[in-house]
Amino acid sequence: MDEFQEILQDFLVESFELVEKLDEDLVELENTPEDLELLNGIFRVAHTVKGASSFLNFDVLTHLTHHMEDVLNKARHGDLIITPDIMDVILESIDLMKALLNTIRDTSADAGIDVAECVMKLDKISGGDGVVPVAAAPVIEKEEVVAEETVAEDEPDYDNMDPDELEAEIERLLTQRQEEDKAKRNAKIEAGETVLAAPEVQEEIPKPVTTPVPVQKIPVTPKKETAEAPKAAAPTKRTPAAVEQTIRVDVKRLDHLMNLIGELVLAKNRLIKINDDVEERYEGEEFLEELNQVVSIVSLVTTDLQIAVMKTRMLPIGKVFNKFPRMIRDLTRELNKKIELEISGEDTELDKSIVEEIGDPLVHIIRNSCDHGIEIPDVRSGQGKSETGIITLKAYNEGNQIVIQIDDDGKGLDPNMLKDKAIEKGLITEKEADNMSEKEAFLLIMRPGFSTAAAVTNVSGRGVGMDVVKTNIDKVNGIIDVESKIGEGTSMKLKIPLTLAIIQALLVGVQEEYYAIPLASVLETVRISKEEIYTVEGRSVMRLRDDVLSLVHIGDIFEVERILDATEHAYVVVLGLGATKLGLIVDTLVGQEEIVIKSLGDYLKGIEGVAGATIRGDGGVTLIVDVVALMEMAKGVKATAMIEATSSESVSTEKNKASDYTVMIVDDSKTDRMIMRKALEPLGVTLVEASDGQEALGILKQGDYNFDTMLVDIEMPRMDGYTLATEIKKYNKYKNLPLIAVTSRTGKSDRMRGVESGMVEYITKPYSADYLSTVVQRNINFKSEFL
Amino acid sequence: MSDKLKQIINQQGDQHKTDTLDQSDDIVQLVGFVIGDEEYAVPILAIQEIIKPFSWTRVPQVPHYILGVFNLRGSVIPLIDLRVKFGLPSKNHNDETRFFVLKQDDEVAGFVIDRLTMAIRIKKENIGPAPDTINGNDTMIDGVGKQEDRIITILKVDKLLERDF
Repeated sequence: MDEFQEILQDFLVESFELVEKLDEDLVELENTPEDLELLNGIFRVAHTVKGASSFLNFDVLTHLTHHMEDVLNKARHGDLIITPDIMDVILESIDLMKALLNTIRDTSADAGIDVAECVMKLDKISGGDGVVPVAAAPVIEKEEVVAEETVAEDEPDYDNMDPDELEAEIERLLTQRQEEDKAKRNAKIEAGETVLAAPEVQEEIPKPVTTPVPVQKIPVTPKKETAEAPKAAAPTKRTPAAVEQTIRVDVKRLDHLMNLIGELVLAKNRLIKINDDVEERYEGEEFLEELNQVVSIVSLVTTDLQIAVMKTRMLPIGKVFNKFPRMIRDLTRELNKKIELEISGEDTELDKSIVEEIGDPLVHIIRNSCDHGIEIPDVRSGQGKSETGIITLKAYNEGNQIVIQIDDDGKGLDPNMLKDKAIEKGLITEKEADNMSEKEAFLLIMRPGFSTAAAVTNVSGRGVGMDVVKTNIDKVNGIIDVESKIGEGTSMKLKIPLTLAIIQALLVGVQEEYYAIPLASVLETVRISKEEIYTVEGRSVMRLRDDVLSLVHIGDIFEVERILDATEHAYVVVLGLGATKLGLIVDTLVGQEEIVIKSLGDYLKGIEGVAGATIRGDGGVTLIVDVVALMEMAKGVKATAMIEATSSESVSTEKNKASDYTVMIVDDSKTDRMIMRKALEPLGVTLVEASDGQEALGILKQGDYNFDTMLVDIEMPRMDGYTLATEIKKYNKYKNLPLIAVTSRTGKSDRMRGVESGMVEYITKPYSADYLSTVVQRNINFKSEFL
Repeated sequence: MSDKLKQIINQQGDQHKTDTLDQSDDIVQLVGFVIGDEEYAVPILAIQEIIKPFSWTRVPQVPHYILGVFNLRGSVIPLIDLRVKFGLPSKNHNDETRFFVLKQDDEVAGFVIDRLTMAIRIKKENIGPAPDTINGNDTMIDGVGKQEDRIITILKVDKLLERDF
């Protein structure tokens, strides 16, 4: 059983690949029915699937492919021209084949799908001469076909045929085809279908090889250069495909590898940070250079490794583009339009997960272009355009992004009409419409529920499609750009990052927190002073060159508590997403860093404005800003509170007894702390000790005590007295906390530094206990009645 | 002689077997901890690790009991303050505070607790159901373990790890 499953798996993987290729080839074949190589290739696919499925006892599939094979075999031998009508049937049978394969994948059996009708149609096509038996045993057939295939190899040798033989062959083929066509036309008319003018076969045929030139103009022609490139290479390319040096790897393994690389990148960032610290500490030491070398090699190799692994996950976008020629073909017939699809850049590579995400959006965009963009032939010729509309699908690299561009030369978008429709559907207010730029109006088509189509058709008009586009593109952090000119066409650009897992980000600080903003959305950063911020209709704005930029404070979005004193200056990070811009006010800019995106897990997923988290060089977690959501949220935030002075909490609680006063002693020497304690204990005040600046800051932040003053030593490990004073003064709450320096440094410059960092008194060691006590009493307004 | 030895060994083996059976059948292993004044416990197998507190990053727009996220050897894990979740005022972390990392299936979260007590082995028959008044599917209480001198509330790990906002 297991063995069977294994074979089945292989069979499915192979078949799906083949079928995918088949679609593409068949559409191409319709344009160039004389391409024998192509025909042979297609025949082989049908044949391979048939052979394998008969071996695995999938009777329905075998039955179907067998009949397909018959038709294709005829075409291959030149007994049949592939007309669009025949192609319809063949494509239908391929759809059935796909459905069967899907059923097999899900249920390991091919029951439940009725192929009889399609088989009948196929029979009708091939049945003209009734040479091929319908229900022959597969094994025998296999032999037959193998034999035929060898014959097929010789086929191009018509040139060597005797002229008489050739004449006879042509005669035979002609009558045969005419009969077939007649039969088919009758069948169609009976079925009540409108038949396109069947191709009249010319009476004089020079050579069978060139015979099947279609008289009818076929609507779909993939761009010549792209269509021809694979064709030209076909004879050499197709056969050696089997010996291509590749191995199949489970995507899970690649994902795992990618995760490991992510860890490595984080470790590398950390190493670089440690290296910087060490450099600072041991400046001039010899081993530093060696360490530097190692660190740079590690970071270089890590970067290369990361790129290499990223590449293993890359797929050519052609995988997605492949299905469009077929789609366009079906749509043109459905909509009675003439549309050509030009594809270029299908070799451009993208991360697998992104390729999977963009398939649907592209389908919707192209359907939209076909249905709403391209006009019907009569209208087009009336406007002096060629009857055939052209849709171009392009993919190319642009910096760190892939751009997928979809252009059509249809009627274009009318911004005013779009606005009217949006107002009519209640999506926007009239006021919003007035303020809308042309580009913003174009983006209206992405809104859920928006549709310009007068009636819902099979193809579009439900107002769902373009919304899907936006959702999916947002999901991969992509940007949509729409340009359009009435009467000339529409151009849509999807800008998508190369990979999802590792991105460049700008790190910003607000109060004591840090956030990472994807660099792709950052247009520029500006340093501004508070006076440059204006308030218009309850919103903060600033002038940026000739534009007015609306502002929002990152602290308002992420509910950051304002504990630090606001500085005179702030930085504005200008975020751009398509046509919309927003200025994000932050306190500090930290710098650019490569970050690995980690999810917040199921428990915390879906937090508005947060796209994920990353681990920084110091091991801490930093949240990644979701720019799309942030722009939405910014609309709800009123004027930034940055200008308002934050109300400092009233710390002045009533002092009823001596122990209500609290004094912190910060000194690294235990003896010194003891001396101070002895000097102050007689007062009866509460004393708290800390052995260095860091500890003192920690105690302050915890907020267990309301300190009335602090005695600070200057020389301390980890954080000295000056730094401590500067840090403390950043907090609103402690701005007025008197800091008393107690130190043996007596130099004038030391005193100056003390004052600069916010110390109010400067006591030099040694001091008398009384003196210390007096200074402290003075600074905490000690009431003498407690003594 | 060797036969006798074999016999003894076999006997011992049998005894051992019955011993372990006894243990696995009737005894539940829990880890006890204190939040506020109450003692709680969770099954020992649900605990991935117990660590000393370290720094975390605040996450906006979440209920107060979610302190934020922290980095546990490369994974970003949510940190939940059980004091606040259980309606007690939050308290500064001290030397006894621990982060309890619980794991069930793919769900992992860290929980702040006031103090660890001990690993507890308790007989199944000594575990009673949650009091009727707080019964139902919403309760976080799996049962109440009775020991000689105290009562331990056993918590449901899946409820603790369930997002409820």
